[in-house]
Amino acid sequence: MKDAILEMRHISKRFDMTQALDDVPLTLYPGEIHGLIGENGAGKSTLIKIMTGIHRPDQGEILLDGDPVQISNSQEAQTHGIAAIYQEPMVFPDLNVAENIFISHRDRGLLVRWGKMYEEAEAILAKLDVKLDVRMQAHGLTLAAQQAVEIAKAISLKVRVLIMDEPTASLSAHEVAQLFRVANTLREQGVAILFISHRMEEVFEISDRITVLRDGKFISSAPVEKVTLDSAIRDMVGRDIEDYFAKDQTERGELLMSVHGLSKENTFTDINFDIHRGEVLGFAGLVGSRRTDVGLALFGVEPADSGEIIFAGNTLKLHSPEKALQLGIAYLTEDRRQLGLIMSMSITSNISLPMLRKYLTRLGLLKQSEEYTTSEEFRQRLSIRTPSVKLEVGKLSGGNQQKVVLSKWLNAHPKLFILDEPTRGVDVGAKAEVHHIINELAEQGLAVILISSDLPEVLAMSDRILVMREGMQMGIFSREEATQENIMTAAMGQHVQEVEQ
Amino acid sequence: MPPRQNFLLVVWDRLKSWEGFLLVILIAIIVINSIQTPAYLSIGNQINLFNLSIEKIIVALIMAFIIINAEIDLSVASMMGLSACTLGWLYSQGAPIFTAFLAGLVVGVLGGAFNAFWITKVRLPSLVVTLAMLIGFRGLARVLLEDKSIGDFPEWFDALGQQPLIGPFPLALIVFFILLVIAIIILQYSGFGRYVYVIGNNSEVARYSGVRVQRVKMILFIASGAISALAGLLYAARLGAVRGDLALGFELDIITMVLLGGVSIFGGSGSIYGVLLSILIVLNLRNGMSLSNITGHIQTGVIGALLILSVLIPNITQSVRNMLSRRRTAEAQ
Amino acid sequence: MNWLMRRFRPEQIRWLVLLLLIIVVIFFFASQIDNYLSARFFVRVSTSVAIIAVIAVGQTLVVLTRNIDLSVGSIVGFTAYFVGQQLANNNEMAPLLAVLMATGIGAAMGAFNGILVSYGRVPAIIVTLGTLALYRTILVQYSDAQTVITASLPSWIVDYLPRANIFSIGNLDFRLLVGLMVVVVIIFQLVLSYLPYGRRLYAIGSNPDAARNAGFPSQRIVFFAFVLCGALAGLAGFMFLARFGNITVVAGLGFELKSVAAAVVGGVNIFGGSGTVIGTLLGAILIDLIDNSLIRWPEISQFWREALLGLMILLAVASDLVIMNRLRNMWARTELQMVQQETEEPLQQEEPRYAA
Repeated sequence: MKDAILEMRHISKRFDMTQALDDVPLTLYPGEIHGLIGENGAGKSTLIKIMTGIHRPDQGEILLDGDPVQISNSQEAQTHGIAAIYQEPMVFPDLNVAENIFISHRDRGLLVRWGKMYEEAEAILAKLDVKLDVRMQAHGLTLAAQQAVEIAKAISLKVRVLIMDEPTASLSAHEVAQLFRVANTLREQGVAILFISHRMEEVFEISDRITVLRDGKFISSAPVEKVTLDSAIRDMVGRDIEDYFAKDQTERGELLMSVHGLSKENTFTDINFDIHRGEVLGFAGLVGSRRTDVGLALFGVEPADSGEIIFAGNTLKLHSPEKALQLGIAYLTEDRRQLGLIMSMSITSNISLPMLRKYLTRLGLLKQSEEYTTSEEFRQRLSIRTPSVKLEVGKLSGGNQQKVVLSKWLNAHPKLFILDEPTRGVDVGAKAEVHHIINELAEQGLAVILISSDLPEVLAMSDRILVMREGMQMGIFSREEATQENIMTAAMGQHVQEVEQ
Repeated sequence: MPPRQNFLLVVWDRLKSWEGFLLVILIAIIVINSIQTPAYLSIGNQINLFNLSIEKIIVALIMAFIIINAEIDLSVASMMGLSACTLGWLYSQGAPIFTAFLAGLVVGVLGGAFNAFWITKVRLPSLVVTLAMLIGFRGLARVLLEDKSIGDFPEWFDALGQQPLIGPFPLALIVFFILLVIAIIILQYSGFGRYVYVIGNNSEVARYSGVRVQRVKMILFIASGAISALAGLLYAARLGAVRGDLALGFELDIITMVLLGGVSIFGGSGSIYGVLLSILIVLNLRNGMSLSNITGHIQTGVIGALLILSVLIPNITQSVRNMLSRRRTAEAQ
Repeated sequence: MNWLMRRFRPEQIRWLVLLLLIIVVIFFFASQIDNYLSARFFVRVSTSVAIIAVIAVGQTLVVLTRNIDLSVGSIVGFTAYFVGQQLANNNEMAPLLAVLMATGIGAAMGAFNGILVSYGRVPAIIVTLGTLALYRTILVQYSDAQTVITASLPSWIVDYLPRANIFSIGNLDFRLLVGLMVVVVIIFQLVLSYLPYGRRLYAIGSNPDAARNAGFPSQRIVFFAFVLCGALAGLAGFMFLARFGNITVVAGLGFELKSVAAAVVGGVNIFGGSGTVIGTLLGAILIDLIDNSLIRWPEISQFWREALLGLMILLAVASDLVIMNRLRNMWARTELQMVQQETEEPLQQEEPRYAA
């Protein structure tokens, strides 16, 4: 066993009232991919921030090649050969690929030699087996390509410890495979990789060793052969969790919405489906299939160019979220931090926002006590864990924040509820609660469109599944006919069949 | 029903905040001025204190809305000039003063709508649009009056601007009080005000929540144009004369008053009460300086410094607070 | 079309457009005004452009980092006055010393801005709005409302410098001041293209968050950008002194807006991250040319100058948003196609708005 590159010992960190990390150890070896899992709030991102110099630990020490080091800022982390890539790549959109790779270098001499820079950039990308035009501006690249650029940057800085924090959350299956190829290449070159993800299958697929954190404490660490999915989840959650919640059979009500030939240039074409009250229609597909764009079109945020939407008997032109809301359509966005909640405002103010009209007197003044009552009701109904509804939502955990977002839309009494990745970034416990809620909503007669990249979730929760691929509708499967295989086949289209041949 | 809160606790909480800080400063300034000038707190002097900057503080009210909305309007002072010059030019061409006055207001609405168009329809940043119109409106004002000065308005018009109307209060001051009350009600207690805050905090979330973001912005910029125009016209009445450079540079004072009042330049926070306190601070400061024979130029410099400090000091206190809390948590272990 | 795309970057296309506009403007006014194309006019405009261009180059550096400097006009005024006064009191002072003094004072004033923006974390619009007033106040106080008079200045600055030529083509004289401006433009165009410092200015404006974590000292870089901007404003103050001689307390008023206009018209993105010094120069030429031409055009009252300037800024930024974005997207798509043709793998696409 080679010597450890990076060893974190007895790391503790406190933020105000929360003990984010409590006496946590972590050891990374060269040429090993170390998977780190844990629920939201387990302390993973705090640990990463300490490794990259953004935070300093209150207690504990960090050893690099056996010697104690201080990592006080990101520059020092860089000098020590520690780099991180995140779900959202941080590239410079106006600079080209080569510049993005080399911009942080301090030792390239007085002048920028463009020709040499392009050559070296191409060499690094070749090492990763990635093909990109190094002269191209970064803002034209896909997320996956931007990540590749970030990894290339890390390599150029002679990275020894590469942290990957939820890198696959926005990637298509094809791109994930590519990323894993790159990770394996790095592993062979002796880089230590810390891999963090909520997607258990991926973690198990790529890691050599798995460490579990829970509530800021170290729970277990073992080679991947010795860990099972069940034991990992048990360690993460602290209790056994039953299988994915399966939707009860509910009676299908009357037809609520019919969509015919919905199309948007360069985005999606010819989407057709019906949806009934009490029905959960799952939207399955790989990342890049444009399911969210269809959702946004149905909600009026990014309207379609052509096609027909018949809602409750009326043909509609949905041009604004405001209009959609009036009609009874609600949309829970993928990204709750940026799009779902006003982090610095209270739970109450967030919940009442879409329906603020209902809380105004005739003169337009706010009825604050009614707002308060409403938010209290939702606190109880959805078990939102908070000392008070006047608290800023930014201070809540991810799962509870998601519940506030749900409350906000439920308060609008929608007839159709479009949920976009409702359990992304939500820990296993809260996930089950969300599924319960969806089930309840269907029983109460709501129609639900569930957009999710979590195939088991879609299979368990949907009455019917619409599969999309790159903006095209590949088919609609009923609950009985749907299996993981035929959904995936449809989602991947031609390619799978070719490979099989 | 929300739990009945201890009223004193609420007051104490407010006092610990930026507004409390402002109150202390205000009291300090008033005390210093009173010591230097015995008649400082007389009604006459207080009215005078307001008078000298009454038009600026009227515009500050709408500027507060705009900055809380995470926008900015740099063209307000130039609009004041443009509306006043419209008044002057039309009057000099023989139009009755009443019509000229109305025309000035219309110009304000049109100017505001012009800004609103580029900001809400073409989606240009408000900084750039209103910076361009700072130049543009001023330019139009100069086109109208060139380098002439228009005076000799009817006596009653001048009187309206200079003499008290109701009790000791001149028209402009009454307009300010009315607008102040309206501003408080709208911003702090109405749905529209809530929208202003929400959009300023995160306009995308607002949009996804069904808020008509662009419509709110459009209303604010049109209101800004209209109110700036009104202020410009009142200024013309008070001065008794109009020139192309009327209200030149006023945007500095106006923005300072708003930012000093605790409104964040990034939008989403602040209150009219804070702005009111900072208005009083700036007015008393300027008045005190005038009474001590400090020239207008130095006063402007002081206001400039105040503007910087109004953002610098919260930043520093925030850093200090962070450092202290870090030390506290370290000690706690 | 592909060939055109291969040869010219979007920035270079903008240069061509600006050049075209300048030629159109010249032709237009030449047809409207007698004796427009005179040697004297050329000298007038070129020396006027020289001053504004130097200021605009400094402004460009700051705007690239997603900041702005509205105090440059006051810096120009103060340095012009201060150095003028020193020269008036001491005619024997070495010319080099005068230049260094102007640049140094400007740099100090820029440094003050820089400290507040970079380390005080006060937004640039606020800082420079405040120093715009503050510096002007200092000028007024220092000058005590006295004017620096041409007669009191040494002859090398009021007689020799403004009239000295680097070279002449036929009747057209290229003044020393213009040459100075050209040197400044060349230096900074090179800095922005070939020095890591210059490239990092673009990075900071392009993505300030990434810049903070990227391992280079972005605070120091922004601070220095303000210092350079102030220094160039100081240099422009010296040039201003040379050109006008008489300096009053309102010297330099309005230069800040003109410099921003020149940069914006010249293609610098108001949000930073892209733009060139040459573009700024062309923008300055266009704006100042129109300005100086309008004065001589009897058809329209010269008081339209300001209004037109405002309109030009609006149009430049609006067209930037619409056209350049479309150009950039077309650019990316074309490059993408070319890569695809080479590798036959649909690797990259236009980045999906939402990753689902």
